[in-house]
Amino acid sequence: MEIHDIVVTILAEFPYALYGSMLVGAVCAFLGVYIVAKRVVFLGAVLTQVSVFGLALTFLPAFALPHTVGSLAITLVAVMILSRLLTGRRIPKDAVLGFVFVFSIAVRILVMQKAPKVEVSEIESLLRGDILFVTPELFYLMSGVFVLAMTVHLAFFKEFTYISFDAETANTQGFKADIWEMLFYMIAAVVISVATHMVGDIFVFGFLVIPPVAAMLLVRRVKKIFLASVVIGLLSPSVGLLLAFKFDFPSSPTMVAVGAVVLCAAWLVNRLRVN
Amino acid sequence: MDVTPLIVFKNATLGYGRKIVLKDISFEINEGDYFGMVGPNGAGKTTLLRAILQTLKPMSGAVSFNPRSDAAMRFGYVPQRDTVDHIMPYTVHEVVMMGRYRQIGLFRLPRKEDHEIVLESLRHVGIEGLRGMSFRDLSGGQKQRVLIARALASKPAVLILDEPTNGMDLSSRVSILELIHTLHEENKLTVIMVSHLLDDVVNYVKRIALVEQSFFQVGTVDEVLTEKNLSAVYQLPVSVRSVDGAKAISIRGLRGDT
Repeated sequence: MEIHDIVVTILAEFPYALYGSMLVGAVCAFLGVYIVAKRVVFLGAVLTQVSVFGLALTFLPAFALPHTVGSLAITLVAVMILSRLLTGRRIPKDAVLGFVFVFSIAVRILVMQKAPKVEVSEIESLLRGDILFVTPELFYLMSGVFVLAMTVHLAFFKEFTYISFDAETANTQGFKADIWEMLFYMIAAVVISVATHMVGDIFVFGFLVIPPVAAMLLVRRVKKIFLASVVIGLLSPSVGLLLAFKFDFPSSPTMVAVGAVVLCAAWLVNRLRVN
Repeated sequence: MDVTPLIVFKNATLGYGRKIVLKDISFEINEGDYFGMVGPNGAGKTTLLRAILQTLKPMSGAVSFNPRSDAAMRFGYVPQRDTVDHIMPYTVHEVVMMGRYRQIGLFRLPRKEDHEIVLESLRHVGIEGLRGMSFRDLSGGQKQRVLIARALASKPAVLILDEPTNGMDLSSRVSILELIHTLHEENKLTVIMVSHLLDDVVNYVKRIALVEQSFFQVGTVDEVLTEKNLSAVYQLPVSVRSVDGAKAISIRGLRGDT
């Protein structure tokens, strides 16, 4: 299949796969800059697994909610608990995240074993998200989440960057760092939860980490890092989708692999510039 | 001379959870003071600082701020420089602008006036030329000046510094201490400085608190930093001498010192 034919096929048959993956790529890339700067990269992986666990719960009769609602509710509860535990000093951050990560996976497996009348493979497929079959409803929901996340982040850019740079001093200036942190994690939870349901955990975690790190290697100004990260988050999925069609690869891993190639190129550019 | 108490500790007990760090302490910091807080590591200096910054409430007693003085609420805080983020390449200008965020308010962008105040603050600490550089790429002394400039940008009446010379070489230390001294003398700023380095504090501050969990004394440098007090707090034979008009503190019996 030629590139032109692939583009025509994607736009005709799978437009929401393209728009949806670009949208999720951009919003994850934006939030990821803070996540990398706060040194809580593993939080992205943890929240995707918590979100998948919440989704799995909705297969049980006792929690028969819409999948996105169940996923969102569990992720928000987890964030409230995590934001307290991550600011404490008794337990190391990585130990807290590691525990929640493995707990979510273990409980999800247990839940799936008890889910009635549904094949495990069917549930797994739903839990992992499938970019090619993004529905218009899910896409519009994600668009709403995107607008919400970007509006809050742009409206409070000063406050989020101050807390991220120096929470201690921000606190002395009357900014309640723990409340701002909570707001940040809540938004991250909503984005990750809806995005995981839409495109899967590999894509979400990949785009929370890869574009921000590539952007940090490529540019030397904070606002440009956000911009470059979003551009990489927008372009990598579209190139990835083309390659997935061309070589008959699964779409999510291909998009993440394209992001990884961009990251390697950014690292090379950075090395050449330093030398 | 008429002195106005700015911050008053009255039988204050400070700590975290159930753990008491400093018990039943009473003292005042006055407007125009150059106040030092010294003591060994883990003695409770940061706890005291947090009470002054109102990020820690006393377990009992009171820490009050003079309601007649607007200075009491206008703190410019300079944290230890290794507590700030070194991943993101914030420019010096952006870091100093953070000192204006409270005045700028929510949903607003910095105005021309805020940019002018940032420039003025950078000029004040002698690093106007660094404004476009990344904070993370600066030397320790330059970073400290940026953080002082950020505190000045908030137009404070009280400058509070936590271990401002920690980890610096001798020339950077002297340069930062001279800068703080100048800000106190010329700008009439009340300065509160925490340090575990006695030499940094002894020849600059006017009043001092020697802090240790079982020992707490406040007064002038001559009253507080005596051989007897220091030996008791540090559990070492400390010698306090005058060298070329300046105080020098050393440990007796070390490397030929007698």
